[in-house]
Amino acid sequence: MRKKREEAMKMGRKLSAKQQIVHFIKYFKAHPFLYLMLIPGFFFLFIYKFWPLYGLEMAFKDYNIFAGANPMDSIAASDWVGLKWFERLFSSSQFPVVLRNTLVINSLKILFLFPIPIIAAILLNEINSHLYKKTLTTAIYIPYFFSWVVIYGIFYSLLGSYGVVNTILSSLGLSRVQFFTDQSVFRGVLIFTEGWKEIGYNTIIYLAAITTIDSTLYEAARIDGASKIQQVWHITLPGLLPTIVLMLILKVGYILDTGFEQVLIFYNPAVYDVADIIQTYVYRIGLGQANFSLATALGLFNSVVAFILVVSANTVSKKLLGRSIW
Amino acid sequence: MTGSRIRKLKLKSTSERAFTIAAYIIMTALALICIFPCLHVFSKSISGGNLVATGQIYFTPKAIQFETMEYILEKTEFFNCLKNTLIVTVLGTAISMFTTITTAYPLSKPKMPGRKLFVMLYVISMVFFGGIVPAYMVVNTLGILDTYWAIILPFAIVQFNMFVMKSYFEGLPESIEEAAQIDGASDVQTLVRIVIPMSKPVIATVSLLYAVNYWNNYFHAMMYTNSSSMRTLQVYLYDIINNGQAFLESLYSGSLGTNLGNSMVNITTDGMVAAAVTLSIIPIIAVYPFVQRYLIKGITLGSVKG
Repeated sequence: MRKKREEAMKMGRKLSAKQQIVHFIKYFKAHPFLYLMLIPGFFFLFIYKFWPLYGLEMAFKDYNIFAGANPMDSIAASDWVGLKWFERLFSSSQFPVVLRNTLVINSLKILFLFPIPIIAAILLNEINSHLYKKTLTTAIYIPYFFSWVVIYGIFYSLLGSYGVVNTILSSLGLSRVQFFTDQSVFRGVLIFTEGWKEIGYNTIIYLAAITTIDSTLYEAARIDGASKIQQVWHITLPGLLPTIVLMLILKVGYILDTGFEQVLIFYNPAVYDVADIIQTYVYRIGLGQANFSLATALGLFNSVVAFILVVSANTVSKKLLGRSIW
Repeated sequence: MTGSRIRKLKLKSTSERAFTIAAYIIMTALALICIFPCLHVFSKSISGGNLVATGQIYFTPKAIQFETMEYILEKTEFFNCLKNTLIVTVLGTAISMFTTITTAYPLSKPKMPGRKLFVMLYVISMVFFGGIVPAYMVVNTLGILDTYWAIILPFAIVQFNMFVMKSYFEGLPESIEEAAQIDGASDVQTLVRIVIPMSKPVIATVSLLYAVNYWNNYFHAMMYTNSSSMRTLQVYLYDIINNGQAFLESLYSGSLGTNLGNSMVNITTDGMVAAAVTLSIIPIIAVYPFVQRYLIKGITLGSVKG
């Protein structure tokens, strides 16, 4: 009987609702603590992840923070305005700017930074000395643990008006570059610092994937006289392909969700035109100018599109690689 | 062992050797790109003020002085902000680990009815975000603005970390747990006495991931706190970088300046930024060698989940 039920469950929930309830009660009685244990996690999940979802109602209301007893209560007490905020948003001149910046900055990051860790991992794998390899790994990995503020401080020191880079430029007879306020170079600063922080982390992911490639393949290739480049091209890269595809899917899937803290810390009014992304704009109009409803509408737009992207990314990943990204 | 190695070396063709040499050169260059900026900031933090202000410091300190460091430590809020960051990191990591383990353990039981639904809730919360304005309103409503709780709440349970923990638990041999339960151990006893001791590596890894999150986070601390006594290290650092000039002017104009006398020459805006950055990196660099292997494990654990 029990075996039958388990089999039925494996086959895809062939149990009737009643059987399921009986099964649940039985399990609950045998393992009450397993369910009690879930409470702390759910407590925080509901407070910080699900309760704000209810707050999205603000996007369709004329939110007045003083309408109710507390800010969340005020949401229910505020008046419905339909799609007013979305109309205002989509007709504003700022919307296309922040949407374009978000897509351009994150696409450039993928374009320039995506291949580097793959190459780095392949090269790192060629380093014979174990100690030297470890030293190199440590060196390229450590910036990943610096906060964006620390990285801002470091690059402020390097790239400031009187930073070392400008000193070198001027000693070469070139003019100084205002890296943080010049619209033509600011995106470059974002891309470079992103790479500086993240390359080590991604390299280690690829390095771990390389070690799973069957080493006899290389031996065989060498006996057949394959050059190093040919080995990389015909063995290493195909072996890495699932990881490469997965990483790319993830990067594209999260294209609307990345870069917020970095831009928030690095940017300033002089570069808003090229650096202001959706989330920084949401932050400024929402919590800076107290335009809560408009900000929530834009946040909701962002969340919906991001959701569609991530779910599509997951579908692609399942189709191509047979694995879910979460 | 050595024999095969020698044979391998002998077998190496010129093209292979060229490839290896290129690997050494390129990777060394990449590592230097990562290290030099840190060296630069460190050098600036302890070099003479004139040299710093005129951009003559590269990657080695010159005219070494510690007045800037002393100034940051003694005359600014550094220690208070460090204290805030430490409290948030330690308290936050403890809370997060508690919720993560107590959630991951039941969800790792394949036979638990309702498990799929619970997992689904965590996945949904991962892919759909309510946005920063509603989140701010929640924190405001809870009445915890400007407290440590507001900074801890967003990371109280990070879904990704919970899933890393869950898949580790799923990989543990079931037989040991079953034996304990036959001996009459409850689920809590099994978790505490058997599962947790068997999971030390993943617990170390996930704790570190949380600790790094808490230590480095700027946005939540900036958004949810406003009094200057609640500033964390990251907020403090950001203020110094952006308002270093104002800091310095208050120093020169106030009575403080006259007391410091000649040594003032050494304290510059750039030097202050460099010293503050250096002081906030030191804890990370100091801990890093001891925890690196757990952090590397964290990446590989994360990337093989699913």
